[in-house]
Amino acid sequence: MVISLIVAGLALGSIYALLGLSLVLVNKATDVVNFAQGEIGMIGAFTGMTVLAASGWPLPLVFVVGMLSGALLGLFLERVVIRPLGAAPHLNLLIVTVGLWFIFNSVAGLIWGYDPYRFPSLLPAEPLDILGAKVPPSSLGIVAVACVSMALLYLFFEHTRDGIAMRAASNNPRAARLMGIRVERVAAISWAVACGLSVTSSMLIAPVTFLDQQMMVPVILKAFAGAILGGFTSLPGTVVGCVLLGLAETFVGAYLSAALKDALAFTLIILVLMVKPAGLFGRSIRKKV
Amino acid sequence: MRALKTHGLAGMALAIALVAPHAVGPYGHYILAMVLVYALVCMSMNVLMGMGGQISIGHAAFWAIGAYTSAVLVSKLGAPLLVGVLAGGVLALLAGLLVALPALRVQGHYLAIATLGFALVVHQILYEWDAVTGGRSGMLVPRPDVWGIDLSSDLSYYHLVLAVCVLAAWLTHNFRQSMDGLGLMALRMSPTAGQVMGIGRARSLFMAFGISAFLTGLSGALFGHLIGQLSTDSFTLTVSLSFMTAAVVGGMNSVAGAILGGLFLALAPELLRSLKDAQNIVYGLILIGFMHFLPGGIASLPQRLGELWRHLRERRASGDETAAVPRQKGGTA
Repeated sequence: MVISLIVAGLALGSIYALLGLSLVLVNKATDVVNFAQGEIGMIGAFTGMTVLAASGWPLPLVFVVGMLSGALLGLFLERVVIRPLGAAPHLNLLIVTVGLWFIFNSVAGLIWGYDPYRFPSLLPAEPLDILGAKVPPSSLGIVAVACVSMALLYLFFEHTRDGIAMRAASNNPRAARLMGIRVERVAAISWAVACGLSVTSSMLIAPVTFLDQQMMVPVILKAFAGAILGGFTSLPGTVVGCVLLGLAETFVGAYLSAALKDALAFTLIILVLMVKPAGLFGRSIRKKV
Repeated sequence: MRALKTHGLAGMALAIALVAPHAVGPYGHYILAMVLVYALVCMSMNVLMGMGGQISIGHAAFWAIGAYTSAVLVSKLGAPLLVGVLAGGVLALLAGLLVALPALRVQGHYLAIATLGFALVVHQILYEWDAVTGGRSGMLVPRPDVWGIDLSSDLSYYHLVLAVCVLAAWLTHNFRQSMDGLGLMALRMSPTAGQVMGIGRARSLFMAFGISAFLTGLSGALFGHLIGQLSTDSFTLTVSLSFMTAAVVGGMNSVAGAILGGLFLALAPELLRSLKDAQNIVYGLILIGFMHFLPGGIASLPQRLGELWRHLRERRASGDETAAVPRQKGGTA
């Protein structure tokens, strides 16, 4: 029982973590809290589903196509919607992302309707017996995909020119610019990577919740909660925060009540902000005047 | 001079508000009352977003708390209408302070995220707690007399809403010019500079959020008695977001902007009805378009046109054909 709950919690947490990572990436690169992140993921997942239905390609390939479509959408949004606003106050940018939320949410409804669709899972859902516990391979598949994505992200940040430029730019945009890093390019790449990650997150949760136009609304709240728990500035912190939230939610759902499960994320946001406002791993920001 | 202009405008608006119902039929009365109900919400958004620079994407929750509090008090406990409405506002205020308390301790947009979570939780509670709220099927809301005045027609009820609106407009206008209001706006411009000047950040934002939640609660309560029945469908995330859209469209820096926002929110569904599901796309495009081209909302249009006009004249005078039209500088103003 406990082992299968842990696996389920890890799977849920990985899904939150991918979306949480994309929220933090965008926030670090362009100072935008992107409320449309989940909806962008949903659009990508729907695109993946359409491609799958039309071509019958193998599912891993469809995942890649979905991610690429998300990345393209991210590039487009950064260039057309976010960049022209330049140095506008944060509030304006936030309002713009809420506008994007409206647009994607209803575009999805218009194109794909309001009924939930089935989305195939990478691995079958029939549980296997592992150490006497029933563990569905689909959950393990989710964790595996998340781990691979995070490993790629890590390699990207540590070993590629663009990745290092992104770290530099988020650390100190002005110094980075003076060193010849094109901060605009960094912003564009961040949006692309983040939107690709959100699509992955949506395609992983789609087999569990079904694919529909409202599917990401609760997920993005959880991703926010997990990211806040991790400090909202640190990428590893975000992953840990989201995975902890996934585990906590699964255990609360199993042992206390399923209705409490959804209130948990909100309570967690409030508690973290009250007790440890900088999150578990975030550094408190001191501003020089 | 400026005060005179403000008073003149306010007087004119009030005169129009008093005359307008006589130009339309019963359905028009309903729509007009709706305009004012929404204008109240926009005023609350003005305080929070326009002055405080904070964003809430969960104001439907406060609206719901106001609506259900008043509806339950009046229908189940037989409280007078005004007591119910006021209680709705006060309870929303308390809920607002509860949400704001932790979020205000840190910089950034945690408040927005906390309000989103709060709204989802409130929506779920309303849905599950059907002994009190009627759950999905909803509840009927009576509209009893106030001081012996029969409010059963939308026309008489409109006047009640108008009275509340005038009080709220007076409150927000004065708050904008009070030391606390000025402090709040200073904090929006520069949190650091404001705090160095001795403005308490937490206290100011707390106050802004409280006032905002209170006005939204009042509006929700009035809304419930206006439409006569409540169901959880009236308090979804989309509603929260449409409040924000209205505030942005009208303009977040004046009572005039709030009234324009109210007009937009009440009339847009009527105008866009033929678009059906595509309505939200229009809302989204409007939000993005306004942020890009007219961040001050419709209320700032005269000023913006004035700027463009002056610029054109200067350009003609200097004979420089290549000078670019200035983009409006920053600020939600």
